[in-house]
Order: sequence, then structure tokens, then C-alpha cells
Amino acid sequence: MTDEPQGRVLLEMKGIGKTFPGVKALQGVNLAVREGQVHALLGENGAGKSTLIKILSGAYTRDEGEILFDGATADIKTPADAENLGISTIYQEFNLTHNMTIAENIFLGHLPTKAGRVDWVTVKRRSRELLDSLDVRLPVDTLTGGLSVAQQQMVEIAKALNRNTRILVMDEPSAVLGEKDIDNLFAVVRRLQATGIGIIYISHRLKEIFQLADEVTVLKDGRYIDTRQVADVTMDDLVRLMIGRDLEDVYPRRKAEPGEVVLEVSHLAQAHLAKDVSFQLHAGEIIGFAGITGSGRTEAARVIFGADRATSGEMTLHGKPYRPRSPRDAINHGIALVTEDRKRQGLLLKLQVYFNTTVSGLDRLTSFGVLRLKDEMTLVRKWIKDLRIKTPSPEFMVVNMSGGNQQKVVLARWLSLGIKVFILDEPTRGIDVGSKAEIYRIMTDLANEGAAIIMISSELPEVLGMSDRVMVMRDGRIVKELARADASEEVVMQYAVGHEEAAS
Amino acid sequence: MSSEQSAALDQRPGIVKVLLASPILGPVVALLLACIFFAVMSPRFLSGPNFSLILQQVMVVGVLAIGQTLVIITTGIDLSNGMVMALSGVLIASFASQKGLNPFLAITIGLLVAMGLGLLNGGLVTGIGLPAFIVTLGTLNIAYALTRIYTTSTITNLPSALTFLGNTFSLGGTAIANGTILMLVLYGITWFMLKYTPAGRSVYAVGDNVEAARLAGINTRRVLLGVYTIAGLTYGIAAVLQLARTGVGDPQAGQTSNLDSITAVVLGGTSLFGGRGSIVGTLLGALIVGVFRNGLQLLGVESTYQVLITGILVIAAVSVDQLTHRK
Repeated sequence: MTDEPQGRVLLEMKGIGKTFPGVKALQGVNLAVREGQVHALLGENGAGKSTLIKILSGAYTRDEGEILFDGATADIKTPADAENLGISTIYQEFNLTHNMTIAENIFLGHLPTKAGRVDWVTVKRRSRELLDSLDVRLPVDTLTGGLSVAQQQMVEIAKALNRNTRILVMDEPSAVLGEKDIDNLFAVVRRLQATGIGIIYISHRLKEIFQLADEVTVLKDGRYIDTRQVADVTMDDLVRLMIGRDLEDVYPRRKAEPGEVVLEVSHLAQAHLAKDVSFQLHAGEIIGFAGITGSGRTEAARVIFGADRATSGEMTLHGKPYRPRSPRDAINHGIALVTEDRKRQGLLLKLQVYFNTTVSGLDRLTSFGVLRLKDEMTLVRKWIKDLRIKTPSPEFMVVNMSGGNQQKVVLARWLSLGIKVFILDEPTRGIDVGSKAEIYRIMTDLANEGAAIIMISSELPEVLGMSDRVMVMRDGRIVKELARADASEEVVMQYAVGHEEAAS
Repeated sequence: MSSEQSAALDQRPGIVKVLLASPILGPVVALLLACIFFAVMSPRFLSGPNFSLILQQVMVVGVLAIGQTLVIITTGIDLSNGMVMALSGVLIASFASQKGLNPFLAITIGLLVAMGLGLLNGGLVTGIGLPAFIVTLGTLNIAYALTRIYTTSTITNLPSALTFLGNTFSLGGTAIANGTILMLVLYGITWFMLKYTPAGRSVYAVGDNVEAARLAGINTRRVLLGVYTIAGLTYGIAAVLQLARTGVGDPQAGQTSNLDSITAVVLGGTSLFGGRGSIVGTLLGALIVGVFRNGLQLLGVESTYQVLITGILVIAAVSVDQLTHRK
């Protein structure tokens, strides 16, 4: 990599501004993307990345600034304008019709016709070519509903390529993938880059930016901070640009003095992915569960929380047999699950902060069958303050909050119940660096106060930084237990994917 | 003024802000506009006796709409309520007047039948996971058929205990029906339950996201069974009001009540997508429907055109709701 940027500038956004009622979402933002370049767009949640790409893709219209495409002024006002220029966006939530085939999805809205009828021969041949170019071996008439997230993502990319895309925007494409699928994604991105497509890559994961990107533009609070050559910056530089301060130590130090065994799980199996899970969890301990997506970690967690039934195996809690019949039963036993999918399973999105905070503990706020609304508000305000939840009021709808603040609301719900065993499934997924650090601190405080924590995470630095012990799962089994001192990213990955695969 | 001061002022909820944020703003404005319109168009509209009449006209649909609101908040819909009411009403009338049963025992049987059908709806929705639309379409037909099998003729000579709720008393010169008071009391109880009890919270939680509610520790099946059963109870009570108002047990009753009750709920601002809704809004919605029907009658508009206008009203209300809550 050289200091001089390679390639011709294909897209230039200059001085972009956008105001929503009461909020200046963007102000003076610049972005220049070159042909055959991966350009990372970096910033905390709420920094304006989404607004910027929505302006580029025609979902929003800008209030200020200009867009140049191929040197000519481009007035993007609708999604169709962006599409005609060759700008495609792959959002985190895919835009696939699940009861249609891969080929039909790729050509949705652009079906070629021959003598007034759909030319299925061309559709299938072209779809096959596109899938081959992405190394996807699936038949083109597979229904997309049954595909894995990684496969659906490839269909989205194929869809974009079919429209002669020249600029491809990818909004946190790795957030939904396991480590193995991420490698594959990177390979595809590099291949697209080689064909001259300019790629705007949005990610929270700094490591990926160094693996993939040529240039990086940093936004903060809706303003443009800087554009740098990736070869010229360090991770610390980027963190400083992004949050405006040094991130001293993301993972707080902690006295590791595990107490007695709180939860013992032996040979736990469930109908789907978890096959044989055994471990002991001590008071004051954080166990990290590593493994690729589909290794059975989430499934095991759901059984411990009573959300799904075990097919075999035993559990004891504080030495007594424990067999939860429902999440309520688990909660009453002092166990909480922070789900992986915050929006679909964790929160009641269209309801308020106070509602979400107290929904699991209303019996404590009830006298003679009647809710003590004043006590409830006092409690909620206390947790908003303690966890520094950013919200205009307890009546605010959680759907309008950032990921980090949403996660704090989930945590407040369980903390207010005095829960002693926490299962945190991907607790910092889709959360900005600042909030991540706060969530790590909350976890650390909890462990120091004697709570026992299981943390499932696909981010290895987080697993290694936070855990006292690391359990590596593969194919529904714990294949290795590692002490903090013995765990490194390489070792964990080896066990996670299996030696055989790692060797080949 | 310092920026801190102005920030503090911004946070103070002005009366306009409070109203704008309130879910019942739309229904209140719509009701006022409708009243003003009809008051200008017809001199007879704005009078005590006429308002008393409107309240009597809305009490049956008003009570049906209570159950409908609960069901719709949980993302369901109940098409069967009018037919459940008809069946329950015919049974009560027949037991009390033809079979000579104690009227209160007859009412109890009628309420139990209505609750049983509600429980059946709830059981099919939660147990087999069928869409509420289909389940209640089925029970609509079942209740309709059972009513016709039981009797096709109108049952008369109801004992006075069954017509008591149709009687009126005078309040400041205006006649108020006992049934109107019962309806308002039921609204009050439902409002209290939704706002001040854990059960009420559970109804909203289940409506927002049933899986997230379950993982938050809510027994979602019990909530849904409860909602459909209580809805059935309100249909049974509506049957008693229907008997009291018309003085007969009519197997033809309630034929359009399901749509009328859905109209009231939707006009009241309750979202058909669940999780959001207000029982006060439903009362206002029922009143809007009542005011329109009554006002159009006073203006001499044919009843077919009244139905036409009600249809337009519903679509307009849902459209406004959709447009204002679009992200």
C-alpha cells in the first residue's frame, strides 16, 4: 500500500447537511470514494453514518451540499435516482422476499422479458453466473427463506451486481456473521474491489478496517472529522478520532476471586443445536463462550433460561436441582437472559423506557393488585441515572434510542430485580465504543459484587478481555476450556473451527 | 436567558405538547368537529334529549368495543362479537321469558356461554397458533348458526329485570339510561385495569412483541386466554344491554356489530398492529360513530348512506394513524 490513494474518484459528497425536526443530523460532511477502493465509514452510533448513506441511496434527501458522480453533478432525490447511477446499498436488514427463489430475488423488479413473457432461461443463467462469481454453490431455485444469514447476504450482493453497481454501500455487513463467514465476506469484498467497484464499508469493528479498507472517513456527532489512509493510522488514532478521547482501558481490571459454584450444568442437550454442554459457573466469575454461529451457544443459553426445553441433561442451581419450566420460572430463580437479538427478543420496541424497565418485576411494584406508579417512576429514574441511560424522559419509546442505550434498558430491567446469574448473549453487538466500555464496566461491577456471568460473544477481543475462563463450543459441545492466561485469539479460533479445518 | 434556562423551559411540557403527545387528541378533535358540524346543520342536534339518545344508541356497540379493544391491542381482531352477543341474548331471553328461569340465573348462563366462546377463540389462537381473523370468522359462523338453530323468531315478554338497564332516570332534566351508566362503569374498570395493574401491562407487552414478552417473564398464553375470555364477557354484557334497549330477544341482532365495534376502536386511535391503544379513545370512537349516525339521521340522510359515510370514516381514521406513525 502506498501513501498516495489509488484509483479515480468516482463519488464525491461535499458539505452534506441534513436537519430533522429539532436535530441537526449532518453538517458539512465530505466523502470521496475511488474506483476499486474500500472506503471505511467510521463513527459511533448516532454519528451520522446511517443518515449519510440514506442520502446517498436516495432514502433521504439532503438539505445542503452537493454530490458528484463520475465528475458530474448528481441530484439524488429518490432510490431510483441512486440505482440509475449504479449505487446499491446492502442494509443490515436484508431486502429479500422469502418465499421466492434466489434467482427471482436477484431479478426482482428487473425481470427480462422475451415476446412479452419472462425470460426465465436468461434469469437462471445470469443468476448462476453471479452466484459462481461469489463462490456460492447453491442452486438458483432455492427459496431464500431457508438460507443462512451469510447466504442471504451473498444473494443481496448478487442482486446489487446484477444492477451494474459501481458504488456498493455495505452497512455493518459483518455484524450478523460468525468469524468463518466473515472471512468469506472479506474474500468477496476484495474480489468486487478488483473489478473496480467502489465500496463504502461501515463497521464498528476497527480490526476489520485494517484488514479490508484503503481509506477511512470518521464522523462524530453528525460532523466530518477526517479522512485518512488506513496505512497511515493506528487503531488508537481511530479510536481517538471517533470518540474524541483516548480509550484508556476498554476492559476494566478485576479481582478474580471466584466463590462457590452457583450453577452446574451437566450433559445438557436440546432438540436443535446444543448436544452436550457441561460446565460449572462460580459466583463472581465471568465465563466467556466462544464459537462460530450455530455452535449451540445461544441454544444452550435458552434452555438454562427456560425459553426452550432440554431433551436431556441435568442442572443444579445453588446445589438444588434446577429445571426451569418457563422464562418466568428462571427469573424467579434469579437467572436472566440478555438476548442476542435485542430488537426482536429483548425489548418491547414501541413501548416506553419505564415499561421495558419494570415489565419483569411488576409484582414488586404492586400493592393489593394495584401498581404504585410513583414508586415505579422513582425506580426507573434511579436506573436511568445509575446506568447513564440517555433518554429525554422515562416515557420515551425505546425504538428511538441508540443500540447502547437500548441495551442499558435491558440491563436495568434485570439489575432492578437483583438477579444473580446473568447470561449475556452478544451483549455489545451493534453498540458504539463508548457504550461498550460502559457495559463492560457494569459487568465488572456485577461480578465484583458476586454475580455470576455467562457471556456469549463472537468478538474474540471481548471474550479474551472480559472472561476469567473461556469455553469454546463447536457442533453443540464444549470442546475446550481455557484459563484467561492460556487463551489467545489463535488458540480459541483453532478449537472453534476444529483442528482439521484449521490445518487444511 | 442562559442556554441552561432555555433548555429547562424546553423540557417543560406545554399544554400543546401534552395534547400533541396524547393518543386521544385525534379522537377528541374529530368528535368536537363532528358535533360542531351537526350543531350548525341541525338545530335539534344540540339538546339534552338528543345527547341522551346518542348515549343510548352507542351503549351496545360501546360495550362490545371494550372487548374488541383488548383483543386488538394484542394484535388480534374479533369478528365474532356481534354473533356471540346475539346467541347470548337469545338464550337469556328464552330462559327468562319462555322457560321461566330466574332472570339473573338466565343472565349468568348467557354470560358463561359468551365467555366460553371467547375462551374457545383464545384457545385456538394460543394453542394452535391460528390467526385471530380466521378463528373468529369461524366462531362468528358457529354462533350465528347456533342462534338460528335455537330459534328464528323474536322472543318477547321479557321480565322487568331484563329491561331495567333500558330504563332512564332524570339528571338535571335530561333522561339518562341505566345502561349508559353501566357502560361508563365498564370503561372505567377497563381503563383502571390497563393503567394500574400488571395484567393490563401484560396486554400491551404481548401486543407489542409476544416473544419478547415471554422472554421478559410474562405468561403470554394466560394473557391471551384471559383477554379473549374477558372480551367474551363484555359481549355477554352487551347482550343484556341489547335486550334492555330493544325489549326483545332478537336472533337477527348484532349482524354488523363486529364492524361497528372495530370502527369505534380504530377511530379511537388503537393500532391494528397491536401494542398501542387507549380505552378512552375507544369510548370517543364509539361516540363519534354514534354522533355521525344520529346527526345524519337528523339531516334525513338515508341509512344506506350512513353506512357509506361510516365506511369512509374508518378508512380515513386508519390512514391518518398510519401516516402519523410511519417511521
